[in-house]
Amino acid sequence: MEVAAALAPAVRRSLGQCRPLSCGAGLRGRWPLPPAFAGGVSLRLCSTRVALEDINKPVIDRIIRVDHAGEYGANRIYAGQMAVLGRSSVGPIIQQMWNQEKDHLKKFNELMVAYRVRPTVLLPFWNVAGFVLGAGSALLGKKGAMACTVAVEESISDHYNSQIRTLMEEDPDKYKELLQVIKQFRDDEREHHDIGLEHDAEAAPAYSVLKTAIQLGCKAAIFLSERI
Amino acid sequence: KMAAAAAGSLRRAGWRLWRGRAGVRCQLSPPQRPLQASAVLRRVSDEQKKEPLASSSQQQFDSHPTDHQPEQEPQGPRPSYTGQGGQESEDYESEEQLQHRILTAALEFVPEHGWTAEAIAEGAKTLGLSVAAAGMFHSDGSELILHFVSQCNTKLSELLEQEQKLVQLGEAEKKPTDQFLRDAVEARLRMLIPYIEKWPQALSILLLPHNIPSSLNLLTSMIDDIWHYAGDQSTDFNWYTRRAVLTGIYNTTELVMMQDSSPDFEETWRFLENRVADAMNIGNTANQVQSTGEAVVQGLMGAAVTVSSAETSRAVR
Repeated sequence: MEVAAALAPAVRRSLGQCRPLSCGAGLRGRWPLPPAFAGGVSLRLCSTRVALEDINKPVIDRIIRVDHAGEYGANRIYAGQMAVLGRSSVGPIIQQMWNQEKDHLKKFNELMVAYRVRPTVLLPFWNVAGFVLGAGSALLGKKGAMACTVAVEESISDHYNSQIRTLMEEDPDKYKELLQVIKQFRDDEREHHDIGLEHDAEAAPAYSVLKTAIQLGCKAAIFLSERI
Repeated sequence: KMAAAAAGSLRRAGWRLWRGRAGVRCQLSPPQRPLQASAVLRRVSDEQKKEPLASSSQQQFDSHPTDHQPEQEPQGPRPSYTGQGGQESEDYESEEQLQHRILTAALEFVPEHGWTAEAIAEGAKTLGLSVAAAGMFHSDGSELILHFVSQCNTKLSELLEQEQKLVQLGEAEKKPTDQFLRDAVEARLRMLIPYIEKWPQALSILLLPHNIPSSLNLLTSMIDDIWHYAGDQSTDFNWYTRRAVLTGIYNTTELVMMQDSSPDFEETWRFLENRVADAMNIGNTANQVQSTGEAVVQGLMGAAVTVSSAETSRAVR
């Protein structure tokens, strides 16, 4: 309920406009890199001008928050897998998939700043949990790691698909850039899923149990990250 | 005939306000009686101004004491009541904006009456409305305070946005973070100065359970705004740490300001400067701790390797 916060934009708004109120603070433009504070992260300039007053802020907030958390988690999963299997034969493949996830994370970092979305408070937790999942599945062997990849990537691509549906229902034109990004990433995750299958994920020990457990965990993570 | 038209228009007006009210996204849960009250007070104020009851009830209803829809013609039939969408949204705007105007006018009387229904009543009087207008709001003055806080936050956002534009145009230097935070917090707190006597009362009202969601919301969005314009681009847990730290700085400085009797609140600004400096130091200290920790770990690893290789060479011999 953003009652009082909604009053502020209402005061600013011109007469005769009766639109959903958002709590953005006006148009965003380019801004220079911030000086360091507590070891701040320095990022590329975000060159997209996002009109925050037009969009359905709660929905976009959730989408970006959960996607950012997801890519962050995926990063940590691959990091865990590399820690165990980095020197094995699947090392290069995992490394390649990891690099793509790094790019995804970078993109979501930019979007998060552009849309002024708050990151999920559970990030430190996903940091550890992701690494543990990756390392744990890798300790089950290469096939175990691939099974984990398959499970996670399937969850993620289903999740991206439902987001694409949501955005299409909202307004495909307004969210064109975001839709493009999500579609691209969904295709990448699908590709990872297929790579996992190619590398005998299904031959992993207790494959179906493992897969179900991991996907349940992903669903819970998605639920929590959207809200908290 | 006029009485019948009046009665009919009042009935319809009350219902339309109802409908508009149903579409309103959470006002601060006003009781239902004031809906009719606001309809009544509009009629009262219109009668006070001796506006003739026009043949159509809609324009009667839509025309305010200070008409903010100047294109509206006082005479001539308006679209019939069945054109509901546009009519209703106009009413929706009017209701909220009427409240804004009353509350803004009431601020003038706060130093004298405090954050109370009396101040709101006085404010309504200056707008030519009936004193009963205060009945639209809670009796504890919550809405007045929240309105004021929201207004201050908006002013702060505009100020920061203008400053940012100047920097982008190259007409001003970009301030270092600590300076920026200090100036932003000072600018925001200075808006309290006209009401400083009664502000402790306001703070205690804002801490009432039924006000906490709204006041917390206003506080967090203000702090987020300040960090946004300060150039914060963090997307990790730093996002929370920074905002928590700044909220702490803001709240403690506000409390110090309540007690401050120095000329132009010098003590407060000095306190603020020290707190911001502390916060900067925490950041540096955290980095130092981390690098010290890493150095220690590396030292231990080195020692372990040395010892184990010494053991191995001894075993070989």
